[in-house]
Order: sequence, then C-alpha cells, then structure tokens
Amino acid sequence: MSALPKPIEEERAHGETATIVRAEGLAKYFDVSPPWLNRVLERKPRAILHAVDGVSFEIRRGETLSLVGESGCGKSTVARLLVGLYTPTAGKVQFFGHDLAEMNTEGGRHLRQKLQMIFQDPYASLNPRWRVEDIIAEPLKAHGLMKDKDQIVARVDELLHQVRLAPADKEKYPHQFSGGQRQRLSIARALATKPEFLVCDEPTSALDVSVQAQVLNLMKDLQREMGLTYLFISHNLAVVHHISDRVGVMYLGKIVELAPRTTLFSTPRHPYTRMLLDAIPDLDMSGRARTPVAGEVPNPLNPPAGCTFHPRCPHVNARCKSEVPLLKLYRHAGGATEAACHAVEEGRLAA
Amino acid sequence: MSQAPLLEVRNLRIEFPTRRGTLVAVDDVSFSIAPGEVLGVVGESGAGKSLTGAAIFGLLEPPGRIGAGEVKLAGLRIDNLPYEEMRKIRGREIGAIFQDPLTSLNPLYTVGQQLVETITTHLNVSSAQARKRAIDLLASTGIPAPDRRIDHYPHQFSGGMRQRVVIALALAAEPKLLIADEPTTALDVSIQAQIISLLKRLCREHGTAVMLVTHDMGVIAETADRVAVMYAGRVVEIGPVADVIHRPQHPYTIGLMGSIPSFGHEAERLAQIDGAMPRLTAIPSGCAFHPRCTRAFARCSRERPDLLPAGTSQAACWLHDATGGKAAA
Repeated sequence: MSALPKPIEEERAHGETATIVRAEGLAKYFDVSPPWLNRVLERKPRAILHAVDGVSFEIRRGETLSLVGESGCGKSTVARLLVGLYTPTAGKVQFFGHDLAEMNTEGGRHLRQKLQMIFQDPYASLNPRWRVEDIIAEPLKAHGLMKDKDQIVARVDELLHQVRLAPADKEKYPHQFSGGQRQRLSIARALATKPEFLVCDEPTSALDVSVQAQVLNLMKDLQREMGLTYLFISHNLAVVHHISDRVGVMYLGKIVELAPRTTLFSTPRHPYTRMLLDAIPDLDMSGRARTPVAGEVPNPLNPPAGCTFHPRCPHVNARCKSEVPLLKLYRHAGGATEAACHAVEEGRLAA
Repeated sequence: MSQAPLLEVRNLRIEFPTRRGTLVAVDDVSFSIAPGEVLGVVGESGAGKSLTGAAIFGLLEPPGRIGAGEVKLAGLRIDNLPYEEMRKIRGREIGAIFQDPLTSLNPLYTVGQQLVETITTHLNVSSAQARKRAIDLLASTGIPAPDRRIDHYPHQFSGGMRQRVVIALALAAEPKLLIADEPTTALDVSIQAQIISLLKRLCREHGTAVMLVTHDMGVIAETADRVAVMYAGRVVEIGPVADVIHRPQHPYTIGLMGSIPSFGHEAERLAQIDGAMPRLTAIPSGCAFHPRCTRAFARCSRERPDLLPAGTSQAACWLHDATGGKAAA
C-alpha cells in the first residue's frame, strides 16, 4: 500500500491535519415494500425508506465527530455505511483517500485494519461461548497480523491492560463481566489491529451513569494516548457535549446542522437543534423557559415535502414547505456553523 | 410538610429465596410521600428501585416477597392484603406507569375498550359515560382527535402517543398515588420533554402524589420535590431535590452527580466511581458502598449506617455521625 497514512509526527511537522474520512452525498435506501403478491393483489405500492439521504462530512485526524439525533434519524445507518456493513445506495466514503469499496479487495485489507467499530450492546456483541482471549485475539488472527502464540498472548495482555482490565481476565467468559467491563472488552477487541479510526455506535447508552463515566473517560484517555479518531453516534446530547470536537445533528436522514461543539451548544442555529437543546432535562434546573415542542418525527416512508422539519417548526413559511434547504456555511458572532435552513439563510431567526 | 403522609413505607425488605440462601434485594427501606408530592427514586441498575415500586403496587413477582416491614396507604396497611382486596386498590387508589408503553397495553383491544374497562371497574358509571370520560382523558393527555383515536389499537399509535394512552389509563380512576417506573426512558428526548410536562401538569391538576422511579437525574431535577438515592438495596440519601443535586452529602451521591455529563460545566474528565455495584450474593459488610468509597474508614466496613441528618437531607454515612464515630473507634 503506497498511500497509507503518513505518521502523525511527519504530518504535524508539516503543520497539516489530514482529513482521514470524507463522506460525500452518502445515501442509503431500504426497500421495505410489501411482498410481490400483496403488491399485485392488494395494489400496495412499493415503499422505499430513505434512511440516509445525502449526507456529507469530513473527519480530521485525532478529532471526535459526533452525530446526534432521535430514533430513526439515520445516525446508526451512517455508522454502518462508514465501516462497510452497508453498501451505499448513492454517494461515497473515502478513507485515507481510498474509496471504501476498495476495502473488500485483497489490497484493501490494510485499510480495513485502520477502521474498527464499537457497538451499543455489549451483551450482544461478544460471543458468549468464547473466552476473552479468543475474542480479543480474533481480529489479530483474521487479519493475519500475528501467528506466534506467545506473541498473541502478549498482545492480548497489553490490550487488556490498555482498557484497565487484568491479564487474568482473559481466561473468563463474557457473562462473568459487568456491562461496563464488557464494553471495555469490545474496545480492546476494536483496538487489536491498531486502528486509527473508531466508529462508536451508542457505546454508553446501555450503561449506568457511573459506568458510562468510566467508559467515556477511558475513551478520552485512549484517544490522547494513541491519537485515535472517533465517529461517535449518540442520542444523548450531554454525552455528546462532553466527548466531541464537532457535532452533526441529524433529522430524517439528513444533517441539519454541523458545527464545532462549543458553537453548536452556545449558539445553535437550526430550529431543530434549538428544540433538542431546549428539551433536555438538565441538572442545573436553570428554570429555562421551555418552548413546548409539538409533534413527533414524521414517518420516514412518507416524509414531508420541502424541509422535513417544517411541520414542527415554529418559523415555517411557504418556501420551507416546497424547497429542500441545503447545508450551507454561515458565519456569526458565535463562530461558523453549517446549517440547512431557509429561515437561517433569510435571517428570519433571532440570534 | 405537616400533612399526614399519603404513602408510608417502613423498614421494607424484599427478598428472593434461592437454593443457596435468601437474597436480600431491598433492605430496611423507609420513606413517605405526602399528598400531591413528587418523590423521585434514583439509582443504578440493581439498586432495588423498581422492586420497591412493584412491592408497593403489590406486583412483586414470585419468588420475590416482602420479608419485613410495612406499606401504608392513607394510614391503612396494604402490603398484607388478600389478592382480591389489593386488586381493588390497584388502579383505583394507586396507578402505575411502566417503562415500555407497548407491554402495558393489550394489543388485542382498542385503547377505548381498555380505558372503558378500567373506568367501569373502578367507578360507578355507565359505559356511555365511561366512554365519554375516556375521550376526555385522551384529550387531556394531548392526543389529537381523541374521539376517533379511541377506537384505534395500540399498534396504531407511536411510542410517545402510546405512553400518553398509558398515562390516561393510569389516571382513569383518579388515583391518589401514581407509581411511574422509568416512564420516559424508552422515549426520544423531544417526546420525553412532552411526557414529563404532561405528567407534571396532570398530577398538579388532580393533586396526585407520584413516586417517580428513574435512573435519569435530569428528569428528577425537573420533576421531583424530594429525591431518594438508592444503592445496593438501601436508601443512602434522601432530601429536597435541589439540595441532593447541588449539595450531595453521601459519597455515592457525590460520585454519581460528578459522573453525569452536564452542559453547565466543562470537564476534561468526568468524576468516576471505580468498581461496580455489588452483586446481591456478595453485599459487602457494614456500609455496602465502602469498598468503592474513597473516604471509607474502619467503622464503615464493620457497622451499617442508618440515615443520619446531613444538612437539609439525610444520608446513610458515618461521615455524618455527630459523634464522629469516636465512641466506636
């Protein structure tokens, strides 16, 4: 592989931060039509679900980009598209300048090692019949990175140490661990191939808050120690606020706002982002005047025309109902934000 | 509050007999709820908060049983009532909302049939009156077009709408106490905010007292008057909600508050409590939290602390013993 990533030091010396992931117009449609017979007999139409519909973003080396949104907004589908678990319907993902489709070729193996995923449910993502050492050594064997048994054992010990577990734990089975410990095992497994980029799909959602704090701290420590890059998927805005460098807010398969963390949380632009930030119960009980949010996420099979948020938006006008807004960069007092909103473009929203 | 408490739980103990001995899931839990008050009960998985709620509601799943203590509703003991007696109290005096709105509704009946059944069971009204009342209830929970929606089946409602139906069902007979077990956990944040404000509004209108069981401190902060923090089957701290959140007294509560990411402050790292909640088979001696506590001393592993006054709250921690534990040391 000629175009493998340059060492970080070399890059820093040149004063550049490389974009390691670039998604362009990424889309994934699912055919959820009724069976052929029902379509014929009952004259039911075909149904195409636009789970992800034209999403573009870049992730730079060493940063954490978070995607947040409510159920069904397509954030997990983006995660799966990035690691190649789904093939995109349209658009492409570039990883270190290579198209993701190359990854399934023999030459793409090296690329694949640089990319790993951590899943939400640590109970479902570990094989209950395998010992911890087999689980963690699996990527090493699958990628043919190590053949020597002693070498593998040493690497497993090192990985367990990195996620703050004891080497003696490698004899155990997953059921002997608590939820937080299992999530650490998933992280150890993901780190086995020395990846540079980790896709984390709701890694702490199934955990209690004190355990969540342990896992979030570990993830931040590992990022610092190894220069990891994260795509972090979550519905929890407080967690996203804690871990991210940049945040993308998704609604019905599209990114509606994308901005650096502090900008997004201090000066949200898109009405949906404002609504989400307003809706979170927070410990500070500042007695914020809550804007009661009406309505629910519409059926993605039959999304509203124009801006998909318009039926719930307090700033809606005729243009919103007919024309799809595009993600554009806006500079404002709080920083620079990319937002997809006609009201923001026309300056109809009070800052 | 000088009013007589509506609900009084005293020294409640819930145990599970097993072949290898009796496991104590909830031990010596006492608290009371005044009429119209919202008591939040928080804790992590396995703390015993849902079991406490189930025990009050009389729906403890066997082999779980109340081993000791008593539950009084408006001065009357309800923990030892025969099944049929308890049935009359459930729904009439105590309403309940559970986490998953789909499993609390019968998928084979329309929501109207379920509401009417509840209303006619508990109130002396005709079915026509009951139906009218059901429509009013649905309307009051913010369901659009209730006169049409009443004849729909649960699967025709979205998650948020279903939870509204469940709330309507729980409040149908105007109970004095509502036990809400993680009512918003399965919902998205924007829907969660709607459901919380709905619960708050309805309970204020009806003067319903609420026992709100959740692991989400944010929900408690916005909803509750007082909060009880549970750890390993015991209440470790109880007090007014603002005090417990901003001036926690028990080391566990302090750690718990620090581990919650918040918008209010920037922190590179979250406070973390090392270790994990003990298993029921191996509850540590003395204070169950002592192996994880950074401020534990000799007495903590020997003697179990009861709730002691700590500021405006009460905390089960020897650090708050006025005698300083010197007598024992």
